[in-house]
Amino acid sequence: MAPAQSPAAPMPADRSMPPLLRSILGGLVVAVPVVVIGVLILWLAPPYQVRIAFAGYVNLVIVVGLQIFMGNANIGNFGHSAFVGVGAYFVAILATPLAAKKLSIPNAPFGLSQVVLDPIVAAVVALGIVGVLALLTGFIISRLSGIAASIVTLSLLIISHGVFINYTDLFKGAQAFFGIPVVIGLPTAIAVAVAAIVVARVFRDSQDGVQLRASADDVLAARAFGVDVVKLRFKAWVLSALVCGAAGIMYAYFMGAVIARAFFFQQVFLTLAMLILGGMRTVSGAVVGCAILSIGLEAIRSLESGATIMGVKLPEMLGLSGLSLGAVIVLGMAFRPNGLMGRLELDELAAGWLRRLRRS
Amino acid sequence: MDYAIQQIVNALAFGSEYALLALGLALVFSIMGLVNFAHGEIIAVAGYSVFFAVALGLQSVLGAVTIAIVMGIVTALVFERVAFRPVRYAPTTTGLLTAFGVSIVVQNMLTLFVSPKARAVPVLGPLNQTFFIGPYAVSSLQLLELAVTIVAIVALVLFLNRSLLGLAIRAAARDFSTVRLMGVKANRVIATGFALSGFLAGVVSVFILARRGSVEPDFGSAPVIKAFVACVLGGFGSLAGAAVGGMVLGFLDVAILVALPQKFGGLRDALTYFLVGVVLFWRPQGLLGRTVELGDKEV
Repeated sequence: MAPAQSPAAPMPADRSMPPLLRSILGGLVVAVPVVVIGVLILWLAPPYQVRIAFAGYVNLVIVVGLQIFMGNANIGNFGHSAFVGVGAYFVAILATPLAAKKLSIPNAPFGLSQVVLDPIVAAVVALGIVGVLALLTGFIISRLSGIAASIVTLSLLIISHGVFINYTDLFKGAQAFFGIPVVIGLPTAIAVAVAAIVVARVFRDSQDGVQLRASADDVLAARAFGVDVVKLRFKAWVLSALVCGAAGIMYAYFMGAVIARAFFFQQVFLTLAMLILGGMRTVSGAVVGCAILSIGLEAIRSLESGATIMGVKLPEMLGLSGLSLGAVIVLGMAFRPNGLMGRLELDELAAGWLRRLRRS
Repeated sequence: MDYAIQQIVNALAFGSEYALLALGLALVFSIMGLVNFAHGEIIAVAGYSVFFAVALGLQSVLGAVTIAIVMGIVTALVFERVAFRPVRYAPTTTGLLTAFGVSIVVQNMLTLFVSPKARAVPVLGPLNQTFFIGPYAVSSLQLLELAVTIVAIVALVLFLNRSLLGLAIRAAARDFSTVRLMGVKANRVIATGFALSGFLAGVVSVFILARRGSVEPDFGSAPVIKAFVACVLGGFGSLAGAAVGGMVLGFLDVAILVALPQKFGGLRDALTYFLVGVVLFWRPQGLLGRTVELGDKEV
């Protein structure tokens, strides 16, 4: 069973600070490694590694978005990639220049093949569409709990994929949708990731977040205290969807092309594994899990294609990265069912250590 | 009329396959609250065992069927011992994720050690033949699926109702601690549940092999996601619900396929899942599930 949550951070030294400021600062502390790693990569790494790192940052934003709903409401979510896909596809549809659109979606409905928006406007509109879809689906999902809720999120994933693949006039089917203006680089991705972390942390520490986490531990007790569980789940769902949508927009604006199968089971499992490994109860868990798996899997992937280590040429080993991914989940669940981070955020852990140091 | 009968037979065959799969999931879930996403990999391992046996020179249909079923049971027991015992008392989400992990590990092991591509296993072909009853073209496999499903369900009901272990399983589904207080070993109940579920997985593996004639790493996972949906549709953990949910899903699949114009054929899955979502919104506890008020002691 999950340990009882203590709602407020155990930081007596900071009691004087307003709670919102404390959450924001806490979130920024958690984001420090994210920024440091990003700056190091920008400074030292060759361009192709920057590209890989960018994908890592997209995943980070997705995992943090996933944590907002799954970690606080404790409901398994398989549908978040639908929102990533919607975000990515709508900026692709709205911001791609006319010439490229003539090739890719000449028959788009509502005259969309004639519309080109400024990338920022397109991003805002795409986020709005994600928001509307999140409101509609959230209405249903927030009223369900347990496995029924998880199945509906799974349905959402499969429905979105079916629509992307089959509504060829708008989404270009199973082929890549290319020609999207490449307008952002790694610095923007780092900034978005930091913003996502702070938003998730502020939500987690807010009254809504605390009540939602309490209801995840014991619905009956939470209801008895007058907690409106449905409303809170709904809020968490919409916020989570918006963050995932932002990740999709980022992806499209960096890669310049989107493809439907990028937003399907593989992405869902990878991001889920990251969140579970780190621990879904905390935002730090999302960050830690994403960092470990991104770096670990990248190392394994270089082995997978047949690396040469100390003069020995290793054979090609397809499936090795997947194997390790699965093993991490199984071992993690067996030995650390609450993930690496457990129930405390990084800054809370650090504050605890400092306190103990000072005492001794 | 002919067309309608043909499609009903199709739906019954699809439905029985889903029902067998859903029963395997529901058995394990009702006993230990585990959502076993790795059920598909039991099917895959059974299928690959037949592939290896054929590679070693196996020719007979009966031999292949035996191997598939025995390996289904063995795999289920191994999964239980290695992966699921450590998370036996953990919350549902933990078990679900472990099962996901097992599923990913096994799929990738098959990719790594055998091949990422499909491998031909022609040995069960003789099970799948088309013959005519009057004007109707009938596939022997479809009839077999229907018959075996009925037999399996009857046998399962008899076992659960008449044998002591069956009684223990049914009791464990309601209150495991009391069952243990009566002197029944938890390990035995759970192992039996897994063995039964592995048996059903082996049977399904035979059907899928006979129809497709090949194995590949994601051999079992796609049908299991459907079966999982069937379980939830019928009411998770209820065995009757699993059978009914499987049949309903089979009919839903075929009805959508028939009703949908060719152009939107690819939207079949999307529409199926949409309808499932609607049903769950209307009855979150599933079609046959009982409404349990929060805090009710009787589950």
